Amino acid sequence: MDSELQGAPISKPPRIDGRRLRSERTKQLIIEAFLSLLREVPQMPTAVQIAERAGYSVRSIFERFPDLNALRVAATDYQLAQALALAPPRGADGNRETRLRSQVNTRAHTCERGVALWRVLLQFADQDSTGQLKQRVARARETTVGRIELMYRTELSTVAEGERRELLIALEALTDMESWARMREQHGLSFEEACEVWIHAIDRLLPPTPIVAAAAA
Amino acid sequence: MVDTPAEANDEMAPRKEPRVDGRRLRSERTRQLIIEAYMALVRENAQMPTAAQIAERAGYSVRSIFERFPDLTALRVAVTDQAIAEARAHAALRDLDSPRATRIKSQVEQRARSCERWLPLWRVLSKDASQSADLNKRITMIRQLIVMRMEMMFKPELSSMAESDRRKTVLALEALTTFESWARMRELYDLSVEEAIAVWMRAIDRLLPANPS
Repeated sequence: MDSELQGAPISKPPRIDGRRLRSERTKQLIIEAFLSLLREVPQMPTAVQIAERAGYSVRSIFERFPDLNALRVAATDYQLAQALALAPPRGADGNRETRLRSQVNTRAHTCERGVALWRVLLQFADQDSTGQLKQRVARARETTVGRIELMYRTELSTVAEGERRELLIALEALTDMESWARMREQHGLSFEEACEVWIHAIDRLLPPTPIVAAAAA
Repeated sequence: MVDTPAEANDEMAPRKEPRVDGRRLRSERTRQLIIEAYMALVRENAQMPTAAQIAERAGYSVRSIFERFPDLTALRVAVTDQAIAEARAHAALRDLDSPRATRIKSQVEQRARSCERWLPLWRVLSKDASQSADLNKRITMIRQLIVMRMEMMFKPELSSMAESDRRKTVLALEALTTFESWARMRELYDLSVEEAIAVWMRAIDRLLPANPS
């Protein structure tokens, strides 16, 4: 390592562009205002409402986002990044119960935080001529299914490809955002009760854990 | 039906033909044609039709729509009622006393037919349903009817479970067999009707407990 330093020019600390930093911060505050409004009232807020909540003018919103669709796209990217950062795969090598609890808990938190935005995405996806919202919806689904595959690979590897695919489709339907919302909003289940429903159902849907893997975990 | 004396006397009296109120009948007929036009447009275009489109399809003026329905939400509510009545007529319970495999097949096939037929309308009707209490009530009722049917079809299995497990299983069955779940299989995963039916059948079979021997 020392040799790498020898002879190297003395590097200057990177210059901080204060104006750009402030602009990025404003952008983030607008996105956060949009998301917090969505959580309170599950429908697309107006630019005036977003501006008021963020503490900026409507003009400053449209200086950063050409239209509300661009704001929806940016908010989705922000939330997807946040979801990934908050939910690294935990317990992927644990026993069946540990993995069930870990995957369900992560998914439940994602649904709890994300269902309002998810509904807006689906509502506006068809009207979005840029196709960016549909792309995000697809990416979110792929991430969810990818996580299911990772967490239950031990069980899924014991069945043939066709059956594995069928199982993944069923698991995806079971743990859909709206499935979560229905349990919480319509059936009045607590967070923990709703998690138990999913754990119970996934446990029944999955094939038995192979004995060798069960012993190793 | 005619057990009470008063009714029996009425039976003896010379009978007048019931008076047909032609104007009312025509108005009912117009109402019905407007509802049917709405349904047909949704099936074709998979989106909420405008008053002008509905009027054109039904062969009436926009004004005559709003003479019968105060607004388009009231029309959506009437369409939902019609859909519920039709769906119920097509979903008569069958194979209730049959073995498990037959009941699973029968239930899934019926639900699949229902999803194929009603998916576009369901999407339009349930969109923003929370904005209208009347519509919301009906959407909830449709969901309850779907769940009740499953509970009856899988009664032997569900009744063998403890109440808490039974409830969890019913909620899972509901989540598995929503319109959205069907739409995902058909549109996103491009499964044929038969393939999608197979996914649901296998999953339901796994979710239900073994039958008491």
